[in-house]
Amino acid sequence: MKRAENDSFSRCHPAVGIVFFLGAILFGAMIMHPLYILASGICALVYYCLLNGVKGIKTVAVLLPLVIVIAAVNPLFNHEGEHVLFQIFGRPYTWEALIYGASLAGMLVTMLLWMGCYNAVMTSDKFITLFGKAIPTISLLLLMVLRLVPNLLRKIRQLAGARKCIGRGAGEKSTKRQQAVDGMNVLSALISWALEGGVVTADSMKARGYGTGERSRFQIFRMTARDIVLLVLLGTLAAAVIVAIARDGTTAEFAPVVTAAPIRGLHAAGFAAYCAFLILPVALHVKEAIQWHISRSRI
Amino acid sequence: MKRSRILLLIVLLVVVPATLFLSTRLPGRSYYLMSAIVALEILIPFFAAYEKRRPQPRELVTVAVLSALAVIARVAIPLPNFKPTFAVIMLAGIAFGPETGFIVGAIGALGSDFFYGQGPFTPWQMMAYGVAGVLAGFAFARGRLPRKNWIMGLFCFLCTVIVVGPLLDTSTVFLTLSKITWSGALTLYLSGLWVNLTHGAACFVFLLLFGSVILEKLERVRNRYGMMESDENEDGV
Repeated sequence: MKRAENDSFSRCHPAVGIVFFLGAILFGAMIMHPLYILASGICALVYYCLLNGVKGIKTVAVLLPLVIVIAAVNPLFNHEGEHVLFQIFGRPYTWEALIYGASLAGMLVTMLLWMGCYNAVMTSDKFITLFGKAIPTISLLLLMVLRLVPNLLRKIRQLAGARKCIGRGAGEKSTKRQQAVDGMNVLSALISWALEGGVVTADSMKARGYGTGERSRFQIFRMTARDIVLLVLLGTLAAAVIVAIARDGTTAEFAPVVTAAPIRGLHAAGFAAYCAFLILPVALHVKEAIQWHISRSRI
Repeated sequence: MKRSRILLLIVLLVVVPATLFLSTRLPGRSYYLMSAIVALEILIPFFAAYEKRRPQPRELVTVAVLSALAVIARVAIPLPNFKPTFAVIMLAGIAFGPETGFIVGAIGALGSDFFYGQGPFTPWQMMAYGVAGVLAGFAFARGRLPRKNWIMGLFCFLCTVIVVGPLLDTSTVFLTLSKITWSGALTLYLSGLWVNLTHGAACFVFLLLFGSVILEKLERVRNRYGMMESDENEDGV
């Protein structure tokens, strides 16, 4: 649950973030056109690396070979297509199956990268800001769970330590059976402690007037003019992409031969809108980096 | 009929089939997307009913504690896959009724994904964990099944291996298979079977050793502090 402090897009209103990620993931799952997948993949990759730094580059270095492996393996099981590259195990290895495998793997990895970006940008506080009004009870529950988990983990360490001190805990050398039984003992003790503690918390909530009126929420995010501009921009671009999908501008067939919708005329506009939509967080990030650089060089 | 149940029926009989029909009309790999949307749609009536009921703080905090316990059941025992998460969710369902069981499961899944990473599998997880709570709640309501350790353990094992594990594997099928075929799906279900068996075994052992102890603790809290309107839960929804 780390927060991407230096990212301009992460500091926008959560509504902008959710619209962007919903768009990126929904379009990503629907469009099979190889060029669209490539565009989405590049945007996701760049943004993921910007958000996660060196660690991000390492993850990407693991994921990219995965694409190649999935792409290379798919033709071994899938023999559809007319252009046979060579025969392997007595079966044809076709160009179409290879491209299909590459597209699928690209789509999968792109989704993983977008989800990685989502985890870095849409932190739990943003989630609760968005849903606090629509589902107040459920989001309060979620908030309490997020607070309780670290709290209970701390208590587990205390309980395990105390058990070890009286010679009953399981250590590194214990058998698996002992470790399992010890873990369950700790869990059982934790349950009693946590339930009792919960009742105290609840009484305190009641004493402070929980449920007597509409619950106010701590709001750190304000909808600024920039957020509204971004929302309108994202909405317009998404509408353009939807028009392209509806006019079959994003279709692709992989058997018997690879045929993808040509990117010309109106379809080119749809593709441009798709790229513009996806590049937005990277663009904001880069714009801010440049501004920062300029204002620093003036000093 | 209660309004929450009418909403559930509308979702199951109208909204879900409509979504499935729509999925046959959309291009690309929309089936994964649509399956996730279906999972979300199933969550809605349960969440709506819970919001509508305006639970008291004592109930709310207890549910939060149980969900948090389900999350950390993943961490408490340092053996891979040997996690009694479902056992905790099912005990919550048995002690407090199917509705609470569902909420504990769904919130537990969502909460744990904030720590371990959200993914396209999150809606599926929420639904599957919720289902675990509901099933246990139903099966043990009004003394339908005796609340003995080995019976709860066996039930939990069977639920995990037959229902909850395969539900989670289904999301893997939709997510990773390039073409959905029976043989491909079967391979994934079989490869998931080992994980499901260890999960199930963990739940079985946990309930066999601690089932009635923990159930007693939960029921004591419920009776002592008068939570969750016991007449409503004895009903089994």
